[in-house]
Amino acid sequence: MAALLKDLSKELADAVEKAGGSLVRVEARRRLPATGVVWSAEGLVVTASHVVEQQEDIKFGLPDGSEAAAVFVGRDPGTDLALLKTEAKGLPAADWGDPDELRVGNMVLALGRPGRTVQATLGILSARGQGWRTPLGGEIDLFLRTDALMAPGFSGGPLVGSSGRVYGVLSSALSREAGIAIPTATVRRVAGDLATHGRVRRGYLGVGPQPARLPADLSEKVGQETGLLLISVEPGSPAAEAGLMLGDVIVGMDGQSTRHMPDLLGLLSGDRVGSSVAVRVVRAGKIEERKIKVGERP
Amino acid sequence: MSGIASALDREVEDLAEKVRRSLVQIRNGHGGAGAGAIWHPDGLILTNAHVVGRRAKVVLGDGVVHEARVLAVDEERDLAALAVEASGLPAVELGSARDLRAGQWVLAIGHPWGLEGAVTSGVVIGVGELPGLPAGGREMVAASLHLRPGDSGGVLVDAEGRVVGINTMMAGLDLGLAISVDEAKRFAKQALGTRG
Repeated sequence: MAALLKDLSKELADAVEKAGGSLVRVEARRRLPATGVVWSAEGLVVTASHVVEQQEDIKFGLPDGSEAAAVFVGRDPGTDLALLKTEAKGLPAADWGDPDELRVGNMVLALGRPGRTVQATLGILSARGQGWRTPLGGEIDLFLRTDALMAPGFSGGPLVGSSGRVYGVLSSALSREAGIAIPTATVRRVAGDLATHGRVRRGYLGVGPQPARLPADLSEKVGQETGLLLISVEPGSPAAEAGLMLGDVIVGMDGQSTRHMPDLLGLLSGDRVGSSVAVRVVRAGKIEERKIKVGERP
Repeated sequence: MSGIASALDREVEDLAEKVRRSLVQIRNGHGGAGAGAIWHPDGLILTNAHVVGRRAKVVLGDGVVHEARVLAVDEERDLAALAVEASGLPAVELGSARDLRAGQWVLAIGHPWGLEGAVTSGVVIGVGELPGLPAGGREMVAASLHLRPGDSGGVLVDAEGRVVGINTMMAGLDLGLAISVDEAKRFAKQALGTRG
């Protein structure tokens, strides 16, 4: 009688079972365990950074019910991602998909393994949008939100499509809004950095900037209405070395204009660490250009 | 792609209608009310202990109010068995919670805020071991749906209308906990066995 409903129910449970084979229980804090998703067949597992409160004595609960020791590889609090590794063999990597395959309104599942068994909630992809920056400065490639409930211990778990593919990692710490997922592309970038450097590198100038409106004549000359006024310059920082001073207004870097904070933060990516960039500043009504050797944010 | 959603709608309607026939209202005389399920055609009703007072009235689907006999109450498991003088009642179809899989579709039916026979649906979050949830060592089914006061004692059914749990409590706005039907089966058997 209820043929469609039965099929739908089975498909959802199948999707959970498929993705669940790549989920581990992460025991890295005293309270409730959380969830991790197998990133690669070498035993690398991604989880949420905020659930990793201890960097030693980390344990995984594996899909077959056994337990395995795990080591801490690195974390990026900015994107709330952490990378862990286990020597346990035979953990299948999740089927990581590109969220471009998802449309708003599609059915999605949130998964977790805070206990021995996999758990799931159902919802739809309720929003997708532009890349965004977390309050802690992490760069997320794509905004993904679901109305699927984040049950206790789901942080670090995957956002899964109806086919069982994994499109991102769930975190309850990035936003007051529930159901934010960090998309696959960001996970790939951050996991790569963490595997190579143990951290995500970010560029550093050592300035305290604040957006400020430029006077009309300058605005016309520079071709933008706002710039970043320096309200502090760290002594000994790359900016101080380059001669930047309190009151300077940064209007551009490396040929690109800096109108607002995100412009500058976006230009201070990890790959610029150690390189010399040209910074355009307005000082005392004149436009100057200075070379700064970008440092690494401590 | 035409019509899948509306076909699903009809299936859910039919399912709710079928299960609703086995649903009763429980009145405990203290202004409280909950739901219950017809477990046996000869008048065995199962519900939560917390919706039953020392006396309970059962309102059957046809609106007739019956004075119920309290057969057994287990506060710890939060289950109660009642008996009404009636026969040929439409009993629920029993399933098993052991076969439930996470992600599987389920429907809860009860009388939230007194709204008779209202339904809410979601999926099975997990069964049995539920870290971080107040299952309290009982065999529970967690589902992502909106249980409300008045839903207590109603049934949680699978896509085929088989009972998999007795809706018992909320563990958050969108998270409902139901006592496993297997636990309820054992309780009903004991209740009948001792007082039969």
